[in-house]
Amino acid sequence: MNNKKSMWSFRFSTAQLVLIPAAVGINYVGKLFAGILKLPLWLDSIGTVLASMLAGPIIGALSGATNNIIYGLTADPISLVYALTSIAIGLTAGILAYKGWFDNWIKAFVSGLIIALVATLVSTPLNIQFWGGQTGNIWGDSVFAFLMAKKFPIFLASFADEIIVDLPDKVITVLISFAIFKSLPKQLISIYTDDHKIEKL
Amino acid sequence: MRYLSLYQEGNSLLHKIDPITKLLFVIIAILVPIIINTLTMALAFFIISTLLVFVARAFKRTLPIISFSSLVIITVLFIQGLFYLKNQTPFFTLGPFVFYKEGLLYATGIAIRIFNIINAVAVLIFTTKPSDLIEALVKKGVSPKIGYVFSSVLQIIPQMMSIVDTILDAQKARGLETEGSFTKRAKAFIPLIGPAVLNSLISTKERAMALEVRGFNSKKKKTFLNEVPYNKYSNVLQVALIAILVFSIIWRIISW
Repeated sequence: MNNKKSMWSFRFSTAQLVLIPAAVGINYVGKLFAGILKLPLWLDSIGTVLASMLAGPIIGALSGATNNIIYGLTADPISLVYALTSIAIGLTAGILAYKGWFDNWIKAFVSGLIIALVATLVSTPLNIQFWGGQTGNIWGDSVFAFLMAKKFPIFLASFADEIIVDLPDKVITVLISFAIFKSLPKQLISIYTDDHKIEKL
Repeated sequence: MRYLSLYQEGNSLLHKIDPITKLLFVIIAILVPIIINTLTMALAFFIISTLLVFVARAFKRTLPIISFSSLVIITVLFIQGLFYLKNQTPFFTLGPFVFYKEGLLYATGIAIRIFNIINAVAVLIFTTKPSDLIEALVKKGVSPKIGYVFSSVLQIIPQMMSIVDTILDAQKARGLETEGSFTKRAKAFIPLIGPAVLNSLISTKERAMALEVRGFNSKKKKTFLNEVPYNKYSNVLQVALIAILVFSIIWRIISW
């Protein structure tokens, strides 16, 4: 994770490119298992966060964008516009990983908070533009209705709506990704980093 | 091999139009109503995209996607009808609730815009083979590697779906509880996602090697398997669509 090469390189190795479809697949599976277990979270960006941790912000952002484009073209067209949120999640997670913010559980938790905040800040204007401020989540939308009834400004009401859903979801997503990342064999991790270091005897 | 796709064989007019033109239409149907943010413009595009859904004979297949979003639209109607900030004129009362005209109108606008996006995308996805769309994009200059990434996703997701069942059965056989209290269900998540992640990462390693052996990184100019002849009017259509976009941007700047 702490390879000191530039994290903004657009020259990808084959392993890094192939990581993008895998990340999208992991996102799908996360969402599927969350549904099977009837968990009240989406957990549909584990792959994006993992890709960012493994191969940096650009691959993470590309994974996020690909995820929403494919989901938009095969299930829910509106998720196309939320590609922006996924890109932001990938970029943020990648930068944090590069800066060493995934070294232990406490740092990973703080990273989760930061990613949740960024995701919310990007999603809120989209929610306002496309849904009048709602998220479609029962809990969030109840809060939204309550704040609207109290004449709060729309941005605040919509922000609250989104963060109530995003904060637990993204923090848990990041912690799960971190747990998985830690348990991955080193040999596997090294194929996604850029430095092509050959094992020393 | 299973391939994630909503494409349906057909011979409607829209099946014969080339993928790029349809993609341009989707982009414009989403962007123009945002650039010119009036109800009339949203309504105009909604009518066009709905008509195209019928021309593509895809109405029945669009219905499930529409009803999925309709649930949220209903709550939007309720919340905006009751609490929209500019609410002034009462429209009707339902028990103790007063619905206002301004909020209902605003919510109707949201519904029209959402259904417009859904219909526009439906026209594309129900009449275009994903592989044709990707190939057309690569011909237009998108990197073949990005093209590979997209078609690879469409293959990997059905594979992952079958892995999900395998992992679920295997872990249940080992005594993992996937039903019951919330803590039990939450605890089951990691043992389920863990193997799925490892499985897909290990297969990326093999796939990367397989690709490199087959000249994936070759700098030679790539050729195409299919030469699809499309409607000769597609260039005219594309120019017209881009003109609409440019025109709406100019309009927006002038009328600011």
